[in-house]
Amino acid sequence: MMPRVFAASLIVALIPVVSVVPLLAWGAEPRALDVRAERTVWDSVYTAAQASRGETLYVKSCARCHQVSLAGADESPPLTGGAFMGNWSGLPLADLQNRIRTTMPSDSVGIYNRQLVTDVMAYLLKANGFPAGATELPTDTEALRGIMMRASRP
Amino acid sequence: MPPRAPNIAACTIALTLSTALPAQRAPNPFTTNAGEWPSYTGDTRGSRYSPLAQINASNFSTLEVAWRYKTDSLGPRPEFKLEGTPLMVRGVLYATGGTSRAVVALDAATGAQRWVHREEEGERGAAAVRPLSGRGLAYWSNGTDERILYVTPGYRLIALDAKTGNRIPGFGTDGMVDLKTDIDQEILPDLVTGEIGFQGAPVVGRDVIVIGAAFKEGTAPKSMRNNKGYVRGFDVRTGKRLWTFHTIPKKGEPGYESWLNGSAEYTGNTGVWTQLTIDEELGLVYLPVESPTGDYYGGHRPGNDLYGESVVCLDLKTGLKKWHYQIVHHPIWDFDLSAAPILADVTVAGKAVKAVALPTKQGILYVFDRVTGKPVWPIEEKAVEQGTVPGEWYSPTQPIPTKPAAYAKNGTSLDDLIDFTPELHAQAVAIASRYKLGPIFTPPVVSKAEGPIATLTRGPTNGGTNWPGGAYDPESHTVYVAASNAAPAVIGLVQPTKDRSDMDWVTGIAPAAGGGRGGGGLSVQGLSIFKPPYGTLSAIDLDKGEIAWQVAHGETPDAVRDHEALKGMTIPRTGQPGFIVGTLVTKSLVIAGDPQVTTLPNRPRGAMLRAYDKRSGAQVGEVLLPAPTSGSPMTYSVNGRQYIVVAVSGGPYSGEYIALRLPAGTH
Ligand code: HEC
Repeated sequence: MMPRVFAASLIVALIPVVSVVPLLAWGAEPRALDVRAERTVWDSVYTAAQASRGETLYVKSCARCHQVSLAGADESPPLTGGAFMGNWSGLPLADLQNRIRTTMPSDSVGIYNRQLVTDVMAYLLKANGFPAGATELPTDTEALRGIMMRASRP
Repeated sequence: MPPRAPNIAACTIALTLSTALPAQRAPNPFTTNAGEWPSYTGDTRGSRYSPLAQINASNFSTLEVAWRYKTDSLGPRPEFKLEGTPLMVRGVLYATGGTSRAVVALDAATGAQRWVHREEEGERGAAAVRPLSGRGLAYWSNGTDERILYVTPGYRLIALDAKTGNRIPGFGTDGMVDLKTDIDQEILPDLVTGEIGFQGAPVVGRDVIVIGAAFKEGTAPKSMRNNKGYVRGFDVRTGKRLWTFHTIPKKGEPGYESWLNGSAEYTGNTGVWTQLTIDEELGLVYLPVESPTGDYYGGHRPGNDLYGESVVCLDLKTGLKKWHYQIVHHPIWDFDLSAAPILADVTVAGKAVKAVALPTKQGILYVFDRVTGKPVWPIEEKAVEQGTVPGEWYSPTQPIPTKPAAYAKNGTSLDDLIDFTPELHAQAVAIASRYKLGPIFTPPVVSKAEGPIATLTRGPTNGGTNWPGGAYDPESHTVYVAASNAAPAVIGLVQPTKDRSDMDWVTGIAPAAGGGRGGGGLSVQGLSIFKPPYGTLSAIDLDKGEIAWQVAHGETPDAVRDHEALKGMTIPRTGQPGFIVGTLVTKSLVIAGDPQVTTLPNRPRGAMLRAYDKRSGAQVGEVLLPAPTSGSPMTYSVNGRQYIVVAVSGGPYSGEYIALRLPAGTH
């Protein structure tokens, strides 16, 4: 049996699956720990204009479920605050983009292209208090793999 | 107690006994006492209790994965919101999964798939008001015939042969009952898109299946008119409808007068979207009814609006009402009764009471004598604030129990705001000053850019306890219930344009309110605007009507632990906000998962499944799961080994059932 760090045996059992299966399924490869300084959502990764385009789309297409306040309702989860940040913090923005692009809006999946999805993400970053800057959030999923969601400033 | 290994033997005994009882009193022969889990909450009483004891305080943290079942391929695309609690009967586990709600039967010991059933519902499925995999199934057996019952996203009741997964020919039409028909109203506009559905698990008792009704979320309805959420009973053998209960009374029925200006005629919703509870012994069913049309504006339905937000007790065989109690008069807070009523046989002041207890979004446990409907401890009608929204009708009073005390925070005041540092508190006060604060039942306001932007709440929608409900320990007469304290929700009202809605007011925020929009406007440097604990687990003693213990539930979020402004401070575990926290109670433990993902220095990203000593609330074990538990946990025993199965999903992690058990050789 594995040493008794809490739940060591379970963690060991889970890790290979956690880092391979779901990521592969969604087109990402497992990431080795990178010692170089990572780029995060704190590095002004979207522009105010992009967030404002995103807000227009959000109000039109997302707010009826997730609410204008982003607080969510019985069925639709919040897109701000602890639960949302918990789900995405420590993951590259590519994961969030894939998730929105392939599952939202939940009653008409797949109607928005990468540009619109990325604009909406810029708005979500703004609403979650991350700083705007001079360059737009890239639409390319590969590029978004290089930007980490981080709940706290690293 | 050693685990009950020979289930088959136990079943045989139970079967022999049940045939000796009068037919209509025959209880379900499969029970949690025999190590099974034959109903969504273990039994039909909302208990989520199993007497199994193999997994206990001494070994919980050594649990290992026995098997895992990914639900991705059960539907057209992976699902990220797997809310099911499986059933386990006779060594077979039954569960829902996949974006179009398939049913699977798995070997309970190995997870090997036995059969899959899925209905192809086309446009009707795509138009579902409650899509995705749903919460679960019902099992029924007369000893030989074994059936699995569920409701599809398109609102069809399906009966399957539990052995094969094939539809049962003699039930309804070829194993199916179209729930959009034979419902004492015409579902508009048509059977394909007509708004009504159900994602809960059906409940069966005394050969009667009871089915509720759900609708789209009602924060900003298109119309004050909608289909009505009647509740129906069906014969489990034939699928024949036995009765329909009008959750909005028809003209001539009692309660119709509580809808002024004839508003019962056109108002809809008022269904039961969460789990129903059955007392097989008394032959009664308990309905936790939701809000009428318009979650936050009731001006088009003046009056108390029975049976909106009421608990209603019906005779199981006839559907006739025995009693009701309205928990919120004239609902305008979205305080749907959200959780399965819990049946509890307790002793209050030396007297035996058959009680029913309702955990709620408002964090209050309402407790009634379930035979008479009388409150077990007095519930007082208290004067509440009268709002100022033009056209709204306000109830002057609301019922507030004297006991037990509220187990979650359900109001907002400056004292409740974050105060880790004076600077954080000052920022929180500045934000809060743009909103209306107040105790529970503070009414919604018209949203104004200059303030108040909205009423700042934490009760409605995502506070307190939602559909995962609570658990009940029949030995100690204790209810265990998780609650979210700190998922702020703002309720502002705006006038919709006529193409959006025919209502005078719907939820929204005045466009010019700027910074008030977006939750970012409500968090303080990325932290919750409220003080911890953000989420709790409470034990409520139902003999005394008192909270026996309460602990913060959930790891301190990364955002708090890693925050610049909090470096060097010792902050006790804060718990986590989030309403998807189901509880399971066993011989010695209360088990519940963290609603959020965290990353600690000594372990990877993940969410804990925790075990607490049920008497003291002390945490006695934890295991790491790859994503939050998104459905309530269940437990069973096969071949002498106890298993715990949880649904996990959320964020980037698609739905998966994970079965845990003790390492080989250690049980
Ligand atoms: C019809 C209602 C509806 C609409 C419209 C909708 N969503 Fe969702 N959304 C949901 C539901 C329900 C879930 C949870 C279940 C699921 O993931 O399918 C969800 C989940 C999400 C999640 C995952 C949150 C998390 O932390 O797990 C994100 C991100 C999201 N939605 C973004 C959006 C965006 C952006 C839009 C607009 C383009 C949108 N949604 C439109 C209902 C909706």
